[in-house]
Amino acid sequence: MESFIESPRFSCALGGAIATVTSLPGVIPIVHAAMGCAGNLNSAVYFGGGYLGDGYCGGGHIPTSAVTESEIVFGGAKRLESEIGNALGLIEGRLFVVLTGCMVEIIGDDALACVKTFRDGGSPVISVSTPSFTGHSYGGYELVLEGIFNDYFPAGRKKAGKLVNLFGLVPGYDPFFRGDLAEMGRLVRALGFSANTFFTPDQDFRNLESAPGAALNVLFSPAWGLGFAKRFEALHGTPYWVTNLPIGAAATDLFLKELGRKLNVSQKKVENLIDDENKNYYGYFLRTADVIAESDYKFYAATVTDSAYAAPLGFFLQEELGWVVTDSFVTEGLSEGQRLAVGSAYGASGLGGRLAFETGASQIAKRIAGYQPKGKRGSVFDERVPFFVLGSALEKSPCLKAKAKHLSVSYPLYDRLIVTAGYAGYRGGLRLLEDVVSSLVSAKA
Amino acid sequence: MEGKYYGQKAPPVRENRLNAGDGFAGKCCASLLESGRGGLLTQTCRDFWQGNACQMSLTLMMATTIEKAAIVLHGPVGCGSNMHNLGPAVHKGKKCRGLVPAPLRWLSTNLTEGDIIGGGEAKLMEAILYADREFRPEIIFVVSTCAPSVIGDDADEIVTRAGAGTRARVVLLDCPGFKSRVVASAYDAFYHGLIRYLPLEGGPGAGKKGLGPADGARAVNVFNSTSIGQVDEAEIARLLGELGLRARFYAEYSNAGKFRGLTGAALNVSLCDIHDDYMLGFLWQRFGMPYVMGGMPIGYGGTRGWLESVAGPLGLGREAGEVADREEGRLRATVEPLLAGLRGKRVLSVGGIARVMAVSMALKELGLEPIGFHAYHYDDTAIPLLERTQAELPDLPVAVSSQDFELFGAVRKFGPDLVISHSGTQGLLAKMGVPAIQLYDVDRPCLGYKGLHSLAKRIAFAFANVSFQKRLAAKARFPYNKEWPKHDPYGHIKTT
Ligand code: SF4
Repeated sequence: MESFIESPRFSCALGGAIATVTSLPGVIPIVHAAMGCAGNLNSAVYFGGGYLGDGYCGGGHIPTSAVTESEIVFGGAKRLESEIGNALGLIEGRLFVVLTGCMVEIIGDDALACVKTFRDGGSPVISVSTPSFTGHSYGGYELVLEGIFNDYFPAGRKKAGKLVNLFGLVPGYDPFFRGDLAEMGRLVRALGFSANTFFTPDQDFRNLESAPGAALNVLFSPAWGLGFAKRFEALHGTPYWVTNLPIGAAATDLFLKELGRKLNVSQKKVENLIDDENKNYYGYFLRTADVIAESDYKFYAATVTDSAYAAPLGFFLQEELGWVVTDSFVTEGLSEGQRLAVGSAYGASGLGGRLAFETGASQIAKRIAGYQPKGKRGSVFDERVPFFVLGSALEKSPCLKAKAKHLSVSYPLYDRLIVTAGYAGYRGGLRLLEDVVSSLVSAKA
Repeated sequence: MEGKYYGQKAPPVRENRLNAGDGFAGKCCASLLESGRGGLLTQTCRDFWQGNACQMSLTLMMATTIEKAAIVLHGPVGCGSNMHNLGPAVHKGKKCRGLVPAPLRWLSTNLTEGDIIGGGEAKLMEAILYADREFRPEIIFVVSTCAPSVIGDDADEIVTRAGAGTRARVVLLDCPGFKSRVVASAYDAFYHGLIRYLPLEGGPGAGKKGLGPADGARAVNVFNSTSIGQVDEAEIARLLGELGLRARFYAEYSNAGKFRGLTGAALNVSLCDIHDDYMLGFLWQRFGMPYVMGGMPIGYGGTRGWLESVAGPLGLGREAGEVADREEGRLRATVEPLLAGLRGKRVLSVGGIARVMAVSMALKELGLEPIGFHAYHYDDTAIPLLERTQAELPDLPVAVSSQDFELFGAVRKFGPDLVISHSGTQGLLAKMGVPAIQLYDVDRPCLGYKGLHSLAKRIAFAFANVSFQKRLAAKARFPYNKEWPKHDPYGHIKTT
């Protein structure tokens, strides 16, 4: 985190916060920063998140204080106040969230005080401090969750009973966040519970409001959101479960068994669900297995993803496709503690590859190139051929050069459109199968 | 007049240099001229704003096109967010110009809390040296953003010190977003960097040729921009070729060697007055290179005027007239039938001030009805074009606005049949149910005669099927409350 970074695969805390807020139903961002921040940071996921687009009050709609030199010198509180007041008059939303940029944090603007005036007057406005220099987009996601669920919604709400909240996938920076949440929500519902997925189009502001009454928070991230989940538990009394996002049948079977235990669902019910899902999953998988086996689609593989995807993706490749995973590059900046947590989640998955915390595109490219045959005759002793990289679009051209196969599955992802696609669960596993094999056969003319 | 800026450490912003502003609404170009040149727009603001780009992001768009360059983005990690969009765009831009596309090499100094307190200079130095070693570029652009500016990092000093030991030339582009609300300040920030840190003479072919006849084809430098694609450059080269001139394009998609040969041309030619005045003024002052800024070559009149502006100082006025006559004659015959059923369609234009005016005049030539424009900003470089537009379209209502809510209000209020609009607004317009086309598109011709033909075709195509827009409009929801369309779209623009 401390050093300079080559072509970072994330933006700042403000960027993650903007992506999060603009993906939540009924929630309106007000960016207290210079004119460009909202536009630039929005474009990070608009393009890099598989063409996520703008959303209800994203992109050019995002209200911003647009501070200039005079606010930097004399303070931006007055400008912010006017912005909030006019946003309330002009924009329709259920909750307005002020997010702060680096320059107003450096000069010490007090956004909280500003917001308090409006809150006292009965307007739904909160402020979340998101200075870009204290963390990156993943941290920004966490800060917004904290601000909305732990600071804004009152504690002591009655438990709704059969409700589960799903957290941990950062909008846009995880290009598959919608598809993954939808599939996980589907499986939770199949166990007879309601699921709050928050970021999928079927949700509205009531899902946010009902969240404090949930019976369980599932956090699909070994590195992010733990502090949030703990405070949530302390305030609202909802226990949390940190688990890998399951990809494919093998992982999802295990996930459902554990979830069933946590939710006290009868073993029978869980097993019936698993059976039904497996019948469907393998009904498709077995036929596809023919082309995989006949074409010898077996690879050495590396993944280049954020920490939430590293172990799940590796597990699918290793367990379901029988590939040999050499490297799992984890690309977002992590603290020592987070690295340990990611490492143990990785180890617990039984993965044989090398887990590396690396974001630099040229360093990763070097490692991949190193697996290719060297020397005049292309003969070496330790080459890994054939090789497949599931990474971001940044890996595409180095892979071409190194004659490795490539599929974009992580941020920045600008060579595919992601709409409903997700790799989580049973449906997601089949989707991944489809995408991997498609990328191989699409070379045929 | 402006010489004072060239020697300064930091580039000027257009608010200070050119009376720039970004909020205005009035009944015609003359009213904008009056307020603008009087400096009134520097006194206007809004009580509600929406996010947009900053001069830093536009500076990056230019810097990333330079061959064999690496970028060090000095700031918190988020400022480089649109790099992932620029990478593929520049890749394509290089490829179609016959250059070697290479992955974008860039570093963020990733300023964290400790740097904000202790200063980011050491980290900047480290990043520059690493980029030099690791990427072995010819040029390292250091792009300095808001945070280092607020905490007082002396990037110029670091760049100068680092540059003494690096293989690459190190160029500071000082462009913190908060210093200017008009992104056009980026043009000056980029050119200022070239002027201050790069040798612009002494390379092969840099000998001065002057205005007199020279051996072979006379070279002219033509200044491009991010919105001008290779197809446009080809059209411009074709037209200048008809006059016996050889076009060399600067500054985007150039390289260190090409910059050293910059002075070896008879004339510097702008394709957009708004884009180039800072650089062309410098080259005149420093090297005595004459220049012309003749508006944008868009439309019959615009292209003829532009060609004549280039030809005049070279003594080729008659030839230019002949070329224009010939091209127009040929084009009219093909363009007329394209728009036969579309005469009188009411069109709103939105985007850069030079383009929206040029396009409005072209629309009139094509028989459509321009009903107004939203220019993203005003500054004094627009004065000649405003005067011309006033003469051609004396009753054309104008606004200076880059704001979505004002565009939304204006479209609801004025109900245009078509909007010709800057990229970034097409999604909004489609969801509003309005046929719209891009104001420019680097993949399609927009300049010269090819550009006019393409404009007519694109307009006709837009009307050929509007089902997408209609269906979207039935379902789309906008964040503005129901009352907003009843209000004056420009009611949030205030004078301080
Ligand atoms: S911090 Fe400044 S330079 Fe960076 S994106 Fe925001 S406005 Fe632009």
